[in-house]
Amino acid sequence: MLNILMVGNGQCGNRILDSINRQAFGSKSRFAKFYSKQQYKSNVQTLAINTAVNDLKEMKYTKAKDRIHIPHLHGVGANRNVGRKVFDENKSQIMRNLDERGSFDLAFVITSASGGTGSSFTPSLIRELKEQNDYPVYAVVVLPFREEGTLYLQNAAFALKDIRESGVDGIILADNQYLKQMGGDVESAYDSINEMIAKRLIFLLDSLDSEMMMVTDLGDFKTVMSGGAGIATIGYYEADGEVPIRTAIQKAVSPSGLLFNTNVYEEASRSMMIIRGDKSYLSIDEISTEVEKLSDSVGHVFKGIIVRKGEYPRVLSVLTLESASELEELYHLAVDAINIEKEKKERVQKDKEVDKAFSQIEGLEPHY
Amino acid sequence: MKFKKMIVCLLLIAALSSVVFAGSASAKSVLYEGDIQAGDGYQINNHVIDVADVFPSEDYASFYVYEKDTELMDKGLDINDTFTFEIDNEEVEVKLLDTKTGTLPRAEIAITITDEDIINTKGVVDGGHEKAEFSGTPIIEITKSVSSNTIQAGDSVTVTVRAENKGDDEATDLRFSNNLPEKFILEETFVSQSGEMSLDVGESQQIFVYRITSTEPGTFTLKPTTATFSNNAGVDFPQTSSNTPTITVEGEPAAMADVEVSADLQEPVIPRGESTEVTLLIRNNGEGDAEAVSVDIQLPDGLEYESGDSEIEIISGTPTIYLQTLGVQQEKEFTFNVNAEEMGSYPVTASYSYISAEDPEAEEINSETTTNALEVTKGKYDVIFEQPLYVYIVPVVIILGAAAWIYYRRQQYRF
Repeated sequence: MLNILMVGNGQCGNRILDSINRQAFGSKSRFAKFYSKQQYKSNVQTLAINTAVNDLKEMKYTKAKDRIHIPHLHGVGANRNVGRKVFDENKSQIMRNLDERGSFDLAFVITSASGGTGSSFTPSLIRELKEQNDYPVYAVVVLPFREEGTLYLQNAAFALKDIRESGVDGIILADNQYLKQMGGDVESAYDSINEMIAKRLIFLLDSLDSEMMMVTDLGDFKTVMSGGAGIATIGYYEADGEVPIRTAIQKAVSPSGLLFNTNVYEEASRSMMIIRGDKSYLSIDEISTEVEKLSDSVGHVFKGIIVRKGEYPRVLSVLTLESASELEELYHLAVDAINIEKEKKERVQKDKEVDKAFSQIEGLEPHY
Repeated sequence: MKFKKMIVCLLLIAALSSVVFAGSASAKSVLYEGDIQAGDGYQINNHVIDVADVFPSEDYASFYVYEKDTELMDKGLDINDTFTFEIDNEEVEVKLLDTKTGTLPRAEIAITITDEDIINTKGVVDGGHEKAEFSGTPIIEITKSVSSNTIQAGDSVTVTVRAENKGDDEATDLRFSNNLPEKFILEETFVSQSGEMSLDVGESQQIFVYRITSTEPGTFTLKPTTATFSNNAGVDFPQTSSNTPTITVEGEPAAMADVEVSADLQEPVIPRGESTEVTLLIRNNGEGDAEAVSVDIQLPDGLEYESGDSEIEIISGTPTIYLQTLGVQQEKEFTFNVNAEEMGSYPVTASYSYISAEDPEAEEINSETTTNALEVTKGKYDVIFEQPLYVYIVPVVIILGAAAWIYYRRQQYRF
């Protein structure tokens, strides 16, 4: 049994972590925690960290002991410099809590790239984890909506860079901008995106600790994640009826199944594919054909097959990327955003000359 | 030996018999034991035993028995001989004990009688029956008369009862008995002889004079006035009765009320603890108004009066309805609710009374009506209390366990 640590940093990380914990109960009922038990196959420890106490209070399926509040007003106001300072001041408390949870085989740190707490805490936390432990640490990073503003865009650019340089073993990208295609209002869109990410991670955790017909394990996952540019994404498809396995595999690597916009046949470097379902759906020929087709483009594809009686086909693909045109687009926008912020700051400096106008009446009193 | 034993047994039987007969003889009373001269007699009530002749030399005496002047029998007795006769069904025995000489010879006799209580006059009479004094026979004639034999309904009539002694002896211990007639009301009594009285020969006296009022039309025969009496000698005579005059009362009969009360249950069967409505219908089916109509609702033990119409008052724990008047063909309905905590069969009884407004006697009429029994069965939730203890404990433990678990989980997830 694997020992897995999952840390959710900031509001986004907390929510995805709470969604993972909810889905682990195996029921969508809000009362599931009262009558059900989390069905993790591995020993999964979850920890939510936030400076905003209200974000921690919103969590319903994560135990209180698994939530750490770092007292600093109510968040860091999307200021990563403040966030880094707060983390440094509370580092010992956070690391002590993690140490008390024992040793792990693998860790995921889930965060938004654009917020304050998550984007500033995550690079520092990963750095500390890597320095103090020898298990792999992967970051699950959620990119912002492009229209969310210049601060978030510049945060995302710098946070992603900092995470990559923190010693992380791999970054799994999820892009809100890409995933908003699902539609709905803002709240339901966020909830749906969080659920999508949570479902994929749950499936991944379950697969890493399951008996398979064709084996993929933590070692394979590490190999996949170490390939390419250290950036990855996850594809997933879950059939709701009788679907040929080849169709399920195709959908798992198609844009509709991915968390990040990429052309896997052009940008993917390595891949791991986990196929699950009733054996009646698992045609080896079809699986081999589809995997070979993907191998022709990405090089090596690790595949694992899990037989679950009576279950419709489900396919999870983990894809590391050599290049990410979408990421380059993001950084173009981020540079623009940084320049805009810089210009704003300069304008503010100039605006301070307006104060001279007010200084003309200093020392005078009104007469009526 | 056998023969000797038989002799002994016979002797014992003879001794026992003599004791028995001696006991019988001892039941007689000795009226007289002594000497009576020839020509004298011994009187018992109107009977005289005359000693006619005594012959001491022959140890013989002759006797005559008279009832007043009438000779009943003559007997001659030797010493220790007896003769008997009856007075008022009681046996009198005369025994010659001895004869004695003298200027006039005397006979020593013993007179016994089976019941001494009938004796009023007794003793030796000089000169025999010719000199004896006898008691007479009072004859009481009772006459009952009315002031009018035909009257209108509601009118009065005076009744006079007179008694006259038409016998030859005074009537003593005279006691009259008079009953009032039905359908008449005693208005006033003018004369009423009470207690024992006496009435001389030829004497006449008013015994009762009273006025009565008729209550309804019809022909009514008055009951006789009776009298019991004795004569001077204390002899009781048979009861005598008066005549029985007839009174005809003309007119229409009074219009009488006829109140009927019915009680109905809304639900004949109810679960324990629940209530049902009872409807009382009071109706006057008669031809006259009813007054002072009172209905008492009698509930058996276990059946409780819950609520009812405001006209129903609780008097001494009994729900009661009172109506001052209830007109002809008028009806009134009352409802009330009852309930029972215990299972069982509960009949509801309404006992009622009323007076017909036109009834001159203002006689209270009482009656009652009873519903079919109200069957009270198991309550809706009785089955809950019939279950064994574990049926309650197990769910409670489960609920407490679930509550504790929910609290524990809530605390686990409360931040």
